[in-house]
Amino acid sequence: MTREIAKPGEYSPVEAMVVYAARFLAGFDGKKGLIGTGLPLVATQLAKMTYSPNMIIFVETGQADARPQELPISIMDSRLTYGSSWQMGDPEGLFPLSRNEIDFGFIGGAQIDKYGNVNSTFIGGDYNKPYKRLAGTAGAVDIGVFAKDTVILMAHQKRRIVDFVDYLTTPGWMVKKWPEGTLVRREELGLQGGPSSFISSMGICRFDDTTKIMYLDKYFPGIKPEDVKANTGFDIDVSRATEADPIYTDEIKLLREEIDPLNIYKMR
Amino acid sequence: MSKVVSLKEAIGEIKDGDVILTGGIVEDRRPVAAAMEVVRQGKKNLVLIGTCSLCDDIMVGGGCVAAYRGTYTSNGAFGISPNFKRKAEEGSIICDDIGHIDYSIGVMAGMAGVPFIASKTCIGTDVLNPAYDNLGGARSVARNPEVLPKKKYVLMEDPFFDMGTVQLIPAIKLDVCICHVQMVGEEGTVRIDGSLTFDHFAALSARKVIVTAEQVVPESYIRQDPNRNCIPCTSVDMVVELPWGAHPGQVYNFYDMDIPFLQEYAKSCATQEGFDKWAAEWIFNENGHDDYINKLGASRLQKLRAVPPYGYVPRKKGGVK
Repeated sequence: MTREIAKPGEYSPVEAMVVYAARFLAGFDGKKGLIGTGLPLVATQLAKMTYSPNMIIFVETGQADARPQELPISIMDSRLTYGSSWQMGDPEGLFPLSRNEIDFGFIGGAQIDKYGNVNSTFIGGDYNKPYKRLAGTAGAVDIGVFAKDTVILMAHQKRRIVDFVDYLTTPGWMVKKWPEGTLVRREELGLQGGPSSFISSMGICRFDDTTKIMYLDKYFPGIKPEDVKANTGFDIDVSRATEADPIYTDEIKLLREEIDPLNIYKMR
Repeated sequence: MSKVVSLKEAIGEIKDGDVILTGGIVEDRRPVAAAMEVVRQGKKNLVLIGTCSLCDDIMVGGGCVAAYRGTYTSNGAFGISPNFKRKAEEGSIICDDIGHIDYSIGVMAGMAGVPFIASKTCIGTDVLNPAYDNLGGARSVARNPEVLPKKKYVLMEDPFFDMGTVQLIPAIKLDVCICHVQMVGEEGTVRIDGSLTFDHFAALSARKVIVTAEQVVPESYIRQDPNRNCIPCTSVDMVVELPWGAHPGQVYNFYDMDIPFLQEYAKSCATQEGFDKWAAEWIFNENGHDDYINKLGASRLQKLRAVPPYGYVPRKKGGVK
């Protein structure tokens, strides 16, 4: 069967981001993932229905091998409980991370820097009077410390993709060594894993093997590498980038009709 | 001996400045009706432990909370907890962020009666940034400062398994724990369906435990299957029967979330005036929770009732509108 290609404009940038994320998760079919709240839940649901049916889902509120029959709205949603193998509490949900069982963590965030550090705590210079208060650490810090791989999902906006995060919630490749706060490579602190990919609403970014600095690997149809450069808060290397495969209408249809018909996640 | 009391009596036991944790997480199985009574009784200077979502955010809006020490301050799909967000940005609430596993093993240490526990949970992150350590601020408002640890963490080299630098994390102790659950025996034995979140540990590390429940049943009934029980009666001080006590959130096997109500809450509470107006409508009524559920009305609530065997209302069966 030939699949019909959806043209840019027939889907929103956020829908594109979720579709490419679901495709990316094909690489984790049969693997164990700890899935964060928000759009990662949506992309995971799409992946389970399409490219990664055997992915094993752990959730921080204590579900092992969750198999939600419809899109969860919340991270402790009853939709995650029903059909799971085991339902305990948050500690039991998170400890697969610290036991080194989790192949990948999948999170959103508000700000990311060129080293793949993610901020989901606050924006601004003053912790005690932030410009914008965010959701906090929940799961995000733990995934970044313990997962063998971290995949990050976030809309591509200049103010969100910065030189260095205002608050380092999820450790990427260059992290802070306390008590001084010196910047060091994560392996120096004995942290395994690290982020392999940042999937945005414009493309897929990866991290250079040597410098550990983010570069553009793929740009989505209708987006030019220059657009990515113009919408990134640091001088991102786009020289290695190629265009991503097109989006198919069946992927968008699944998202709109089966997964989030009520547009709870405001993807469109 | 029966521990069943009225909501008013139970919440009356909470003192200004208590260190408090509420059960459930985000908008699921939260003691919302209990939090509304905390606001009605005008409690002050509470130190909130763990998360600040739906029910906690109501207490923040009601001016009951001076400090927060925890891991999550959002209502999930409904946005950052609006009252907390506003007060944090004004600088009028003390914040001390910790990690989710920090919180987990901290509350387990509290339950085990050990002073601290070690892990790599927040190594490399700003959770360990001394400039963001507001534990002292939280201690300064607590009625019993000794309930909170003297230090946020200590770093040391792992002497046992060569894991490198690890973080010693103090036990989480509590003055009060309030949980909303599906079923409780009249002597306090608790049965939870769905995620236990932290309730099964937190209730065992608190000085005073208040359980509100969809159903209070004879103790002999709940003891027929003790392996299914999650908190022993020996750790529970007061029991309150409170059907729909977690509305507008979910209670697995009982009801699904009331999405329009949650959206309305998020919108209303962007300003303090908005919260006050919302509170006048939903909290400050003559007969407390009874008036609240009567105002919601039978037809609205009926649509939220969980459909067996799912434990929620599946979309194909008319749910979640």
